[in-house]
Amino acid sequence: MIRQENWKRQGDQQLGVLFDDGKVRRRREWRGVKDTLYDYGRWLGIMKILATFIAKPRNVKAMFRYRWMANYLAVPHMVDKFTMGLRDEALRIVHTSMDFVVYDVAKTMDNVFRGDRKTGNDKAFSDKCVLTDENAMTAFMMGFPTLKAILREVPTMFVANLLTQYSTTHYLDVAQQFGIPGDVCPMPEAEAGISIEDDFPVLGACAVQVNTTCDGSLMGNGIIAKRLEREYGIPTFQLVAPMRHREADVQDYAAGDIKQAIAFIEEHTDEKWDWKNYFECAKRVNEATRTRLAWLDINATDYPQFVGAPFSLYNDTNYMGNCGRSPDFPLVDAKILKYAETGCTEKRMMAPEYRHRAIIWGVQPQYCIDMLNWMVHCWGIVPLTDMLSLVNTKMIAEEDTPENREQAYYDMAWLNENMIMRNRTHGGYRVLVDELWEFCEQLHADMVIMWEHMSCKALDGMHGQFEEQAREKGIHLVWVCHDLCDPRVYTRQAIRDQLNVYMRTVLREEPLDPSIEFLPDENAW
Amino acid sequence: MSKKIAALLLKLLLAAAGFFAVTFTVYFFNLDMKLTSKIEPFLLRHYDKMERNTSL
Repeated sequence: MIRQENWKRQGDQQLGVLFDDGKVRRRREWRGVKDTLYDYGRWLGIMKILATFIAKPRNVKAMFRYRWMANYLAVPHMVDKFTMGLRDEALRIVHTSMDFVVYDVAKTMDNVFRGDRKTGNDKAFSDKCVLTDENAMTAFMMGFPTLKAILREVPTMFVANLLTQYSTTHYLDVAQQFGIPGDVCPMPEAEAGISIEDDFPVLGACAVQVNTTCDGSLMGNGIIAKRLEREYGIPTFQLVAPMRHREADVQDYAAGDIKQAIAFIEEHTDEKWDWKNYFECAKRVNEATRTRLAWLDINATDYPQFVGAPFSLYNDTNYMGNCGRSPDFPLVDAKILKYAETGCTEKRMMAPEYRHRAIIWGVQPQYCIDMLNWMVHCWGIVPLTDMLSLVNTKMIAEEDTPENREQAYYDMAWLNENMIMRNRTHGGYRVLVDELWEFCEQLHADMVIMWEHMSCKALDGMHGQFEEQAREKGIHLVWVCHDLCDPRVYTRQAIRDQLNVYMRTVLREEPLDPSIEFLPDENAW
Repeated sequence: MSKKIAALLLKLLLAAAGFFAVTFTVYFFNLDMKLTSKIEPFLLRHYDKMERNTSL
């Protein structure tokens, strides 16, 4: 346990004062003069991003056309959830990462509506777009600098559920009215519902779908591809990554499939693969990998800095959605690293004591992902990193040589196989179970918070092995059940209560901040 | 001339102070989110009334 005797949070001490039973917080947090003014300045920045976005008529039109757009009324509220209780470097790290994610999503949405047939309808622009599965590494777009990779499920479903907890429920009902069972993963099911209700923007010269997540995702993709191809005439390629991705004998097949995906995009967009651009992107992928490892090194010390949901969400955006294609990310990476190094040197803490160091495993509840920040303040549990952020650590070829051009297909395939989440949920026992204990050792974790997504079949079979091995290794294993993005099945408090019960009954501990042990946020955004 | 500059600076200062007072009040009391949370039900009713090309 790490404890700083003279630690005192500037400003509000009891964070429960911010909550009532309403949709939004009672007021914003008082963080002392310096940090409140910093947070206020960042809030102004977010307001500027939103004002710039909504100033365009096509985006206003989209606001009235698409139901999921209503969730974007809650953007500042989402940022407040991730910054709750934070001061100093931790506050700056979360704002630097999450504000950039807000900017990046706003830019994506602006592009989406520019090409969308129902709103902006810029056909020339749309012809230079490739619809890319949200669960795809965008590695196969690294050699197409003049094309836009459009991940339309990201703003419609993924981000929407971070913004407001009930964002998917309407679409789940739509899908289930069409006979899709209620016990599949609500993420692809909601995406299927969006497609069924014709609430996806339609654009692009072609589309690429992937098999990287699960059976539920394949079901959703089938429904979406049918509408894309037969109704809107957008040809769709199926990029199929092998399941046993650590095996050497599947790599030739995986590289071959990447070649075919590139050929498919060239055929439908009249663009040619650009090796110079590819290797520039590859350099940035390696740079991002090195920075991510540096953040994790800091988190292995007594004073972790870049932790929890912002680590995971920023990494999702950078590693998968960006994949080296934007020159903006390395600048943000460097800024975050600088804050993290300073915070570690200055021995900054987010709470008066760190009682437990936790690794977060399994798939997170999207509508309650800020629980990781809550854990620090309520129980002194530091979420060091999570399964979705423990992705590729290998350097890929970055010099343009004839040999590396052939190697590049294998590197792109490797990245695609190691998409976030699936690099652990697929590939066998070692990547899911054995390596968890190795990460616990590397990061000096004494606890694993095990998200158990009740509609996910991928992790269910390993339940017994996790329990048995955690007991042998003396690691606290806390199962936290949820339903990913359907809060009607598990409310946020029902999710938090599982940890509360473990902390009180098994560990016999009292909360650091009792005012947030129970939060009246069932009706909140 | 210097009086004009001083008057201009004063106006700028007052405008900046006014901007800060208004926006900081909105920020601290979460008035932006309280307002948008009132808008949401109207939007949802609008979406419910829309005709849609619903198809599997």
